[in-house]
Amino acid sequence: MEAREYVWKGAIPLQIQLHESEVTALPPPPPLLILAPRIGYLPLLIPRVKPHFGGALPPGADTVWFDYNGLPLKWFIPTGVLFDLLCPEPKRPWNLTVHFRGYPSNILVPCEGEDGVKWSFINSLKEAAYIINGNCKNVMNMSQSDQSELWQSVMNGDLEAYQQVSLKLKFGVLEDEYIVKKNSISLRSKESSADTDMAGQAKTGRIPVRLYVCSATEDFDELEDAPEIDNWDKISYINRPVEVHKEEGKYFTLGDAVKALLPAIFTDKSFIDEDVCKTEVEDDKNAPCVSQEDNQDVSGSAEDRTEKNCEAVEPLFSSNTAELKLLRIHGIEPQLEIPFSWVVNNLMHPEHFLHICVFLKVARANHR
Amino acid sequence: MASDSPNSDRKIVVHLRATGDAPILKQAKFKISGAEKFAKVIDFLCRQLHRETLFVYVNSAFSPNPDELVNDLYENFGFDGKLVVNYACSMAWG
Repeated sequence: MEAREYVWKGAIPLQIQLHESEVTALPPPPPLLILAPRIGYLPLLIPRVKPHFGGALPPGADTVWFDYNGLPLKWFIPTGVLFDLLCPEPKRPWNLTVHFRGYPSNILVPCEGEDGVKWSFINSLKEAAYIINGNCKNVMNMSQSDQSELWQSVMNGDLEAYQQVSLKLKFGVLEDEYIVKKNSISLRSKESSADTDMAGQAKTGRIPVRLYVCSATEDFDELEDAPEIDNWDKISYINRPVEVHKEEGKYFTLGDAVKALLPAIFTDKSFIDEDVCKTEVEDDKNAPCVSQEDNQDVSGSAEDRTEKNCEAVEPLFSSNTAELKLLRIHGIEPQLEIPFSWVVNNLMHPEHFLHICVFLKVARANHR
Repeated sequence: MASDSPNSDRKIVVHLRATGDAPILKQAKFKISGAEKFAKVIDFLCRQLHRETLFVYVNSAFSPNPDELVNDLYENFGFDGKLVVNYACSMAWG
């Protein structure tokens, strides 16, 4: 199975309960267990959540939202990203609370159910296209039926249908410096039609990234000790494209991309001390297998899994002001040495953004 | 914080352009701190136009996520020293 298929099949087991203030039935309804696709969005679960709790609700109009430990969850962030961000130490099932009343409109933007999510998805896709091509004609010129087919493929987690219809968007494939360049060539030959708007084919090497930065002033060695996020203000949401630079004889790595996104935390002695890392792995060998993530196999092809565990506890980069404790994409902690082109081509979300969660430890004195 | 760039506190010039049947504002240009979220721009427009909902776009192209920072939008999509924001009362660009 290819990495992209793992990404599309990745799911998080949720245990959803109704908020106690909204329980009007005795006995209260049991929690609902549900598998939520990582690339999906929480409001898309409503058609399955509502029938389960509908009988227990007080009268009134429904506006559904979810919280985790009291933090209202932003519905436009893919479910897998929410999980990676808010559960540094992954918990399964992930315990969420559903609300049908009292929408916290001071924290969450309103959501018109599936239509609202589709709107947000298509606009993110256009934004990504704008970053890649300098315009989003390819998305805007899509027919209504193609657009809705594209959306349906994401809703249904149907990678094959998605790949078919998204060919029409003519996003070039970022040249994979790892494998032979056959991808982009075969794409190009298919598109050598009379179409005059060739913008989609120009590979600019600008990669749309949504970066979620969680900073803690307290140090932590174990992920379970990572500070709880009880407020969205604790997360910096950074939208900054990565320009892929190529140097002769060297490939552009994930680490190079992070360096470009967060220049402030980077110093020359960045990469982890290999020796320290190896010792830790030795110590760890007899430990029970750490359950990483539902779709952990994504990483299998491109990296050595044993080293991931030590990366989680060793600073990846450090400087006087901040150190990178953890970097997570689709539940995996990829090594910083892997080619960024592989990360982009395999781990990007269907709206062509690469969502990256990072946890930083910042020095208190330098907190501005 | 580590993610701050030296420019994050600067002011960004936003040009407002009415689209479709949306009323034209007297003040079509305003400055906003780059550290603000795009939601602030939407709020401002809703208050000016006394409407609860509006469709707000960048460069006649897409609606950014309300959480995105004005600074990031300016860096990615601004030109000639400004960020062009279009607003409409009904959906203008699907």
